[in-house]
Amino acid sequence: MPRVLRPRAKGLALLAAAVLAAAPAGAQPRAPHLRPADTSDEGGIWALSEKAELAARQSAERNRDPALNGYVTGVVAKLAPEYQGDIRVYVMDRPFFNAQMAPNGYGEVWSGLLLRVETEDELAFVLGHEVGHFSENHSIEAYRALKARLGATMAVQFAVAAVAMGAAVNAGSAQGASDIMRAAGALNDLLYLGQLAAYFGFSRENEVEADGLGFQRAVKAGYDPAAGAHLWRSLIAETGASSFKRVREQEARVSIFSTHPLSSDRVKALDDLAAKTPTKASAAADRKAYRAAVRPHLAAWLKDDLRRRDYGQSLALIDRLSAQGEDLGVLTFYRAEAYRQRRGEGDLELARKAYAQAGAHADAPVAAWRTLGDLSLQAGDRPAAKTAYETYLARAPQAQDRWLVEASLKKLSEGSAT
Amino acid sequence: MIRTNTLRLLTASALVMSLSACVSVTSAPAGPYKVGAATVTLGHEWSDISAIMFARPAKVRLLSMDGPLLNRLYVTDGLAPGEFMVKPMAKERPTPTYRAGMAPTELVEFVTDSVAALDYQRVETDNLRPAKVGSAEGLRFDLKAKTKEGLDISGAAQVAEVGGKLYVVLYIAPSEHYYAAELPEVETVLGSVKVG
Repeated sequence: MPRVLRPRAKGLALLAAAVLAAAPAGAQPRAPHLRPADTSDEGGIWALSEKAELAARQSAERNRDPALNGYVTGVVAKLAPEYQGDIRVYVMDRPFFNAQMAPNGYGEVWSGLLLRVETEDELAFVLGHEVGHFSENHSIEAYRALKARLGATMAVQFAVAAVAMGAAVNAGSAQGASDIMRAAGALNDLLYLGQLAAYFGFSRENEVEADGLGFQRAVKAGYDPAAGAHLWRSLIAETGASSFKRVREQEARVSIFSTHPLSSDRVKALDDLAAKTPTKASAAADRKAYRAAVRPHLAAWLKDDLRRRDYGQSLALIDRLSAQGEDLGVLTFYRAEAYRQRRGEGDLELARKAYAQAGAHADAPVAAWRTLGDLSLQAGDRPAAKTAYETYLARAPQAQDRWLVEASLKKLSEGSAT
Repeated sequence: MIRTNTLRLLTASALVMSLSACVSVTSAPAGPYKVGAATVTLGHEWSDISAIMFARPAKVRLLSMDGPLLNRLYVTDGLAPGEFMVKPMAKERPTPTYRAGMAPTELVEFVTDSVAALDYQRVETDNLRPAKVGSAEGLRFDLKAKTKEGLDISGAAQVAEVGGKLYVVLYIAPSEHYYAAELPEVETVLGSVKVG
């Protein structure tokens, strides 16, 4: 949770509540199956978005699992039946919390988000939020507001630059990577969602409105009203667990929130809405169902998450996911990996214990035994190293590093391993 | 005779890097090529594109024949504990770091994670095998990866710890044509590493 709610933040909280309460009053939702004229300003933005979509479709980061993509598309269909055929959401294997939707109906949901939501209800809230940006034409609204303020030429430059940034992220040039890293380095992942949620930086009012619309769509489709607030709260807690002081402290930096409501405001506004709505009671069953949908990708996504090397956040996430009591072999293995890679004081011993704990579960990756052998050898526990290596070879007889493990065992038997 | 078309090389390089006025591509002629305490023997002339490569620490040199998108040969001086192959762009986004006491598979992981930090996707290793680097025991392995655009990439890598420092030679190129085209030369280079 943010540690400071400053006077200005209280003002923002009131604003967030007011906007949520008002949404979507006065809004003019996009008509289904709309395609703007090519010569219109919106037509131009669509053309740019279509190029970005093509890059996303061809990207190596695209997750092509038909079951997973079908699952996500199914959630969108429940949330926005009127836009069936208009919205296309692609799953991308990128270890950041992000979803985005372009004006032409092309959307992305990133694996870092799918890893962090705990139920379909939470996923529905985020996707509903993105559908809210789409249905309310926030991108076009932002473009026209900018055009009125800055003039047509500047607004076009802004649109091209904003869409190009989205395209660069997908295209994967070194500069694109640089943009991602700068964005991610300057902002925490929670804000990263807001900043990259679409090709335009939405106004604070747009973001809060999209929260409200996401809430309404999710509840209408039968999802848990408390899901949105629970998800934001989880992300705030994870940000607070970051290994990096700058990331942890950004939560309370008002300047970072200059165009977005403080996260705590958004949580409170959603809590207020949920309090007025009957809640769902089947959270445990929902968690199980959602985990079953993402389970085939859990290990790969955790491995990707560790490549961010924010071990504080990764460990907080693994703790949260472990509380469900499922997939403990995989989750405990990656907890061990986080300790091993972090290598702070006492971490290698924590890693050794965690690998051993992972090995007690049937779903533990077999590498747990090899690494347990390596760490036991380093710790001078030769019997434990021998047992772990032998278990590894028995369970992975075709391992490409078999010769290496056999060499270690030979040295152990000769008494020469250190 | 070098096959590199310098103009093409620079044009390709400009797409992915920031060029400043005081850096340039230089020749790395056939024969010994020294990187700090490490020396490799080049079978033919390469272009040394170290000066224009993005996110490169001083101990890492980079050679290419056809441009960095088509083939890259990284040769490092000995990396001390705490050093890396890819320079981090922000404190909050660290890159893989070599640490003292790493197990052999952790050395492989250091290289594959460094390749991932260079923005390659779905990096996998294969055919891990022993290698000799002078009198030191090293490791050889192959790599598979993809660019973000989906182009298949192949790689060959060798790591060896000598005197508490890690020496890495890494070759990566598109699987189609470019990887195989330089592989015999790269095998020679990998077999030629001398330290000290």
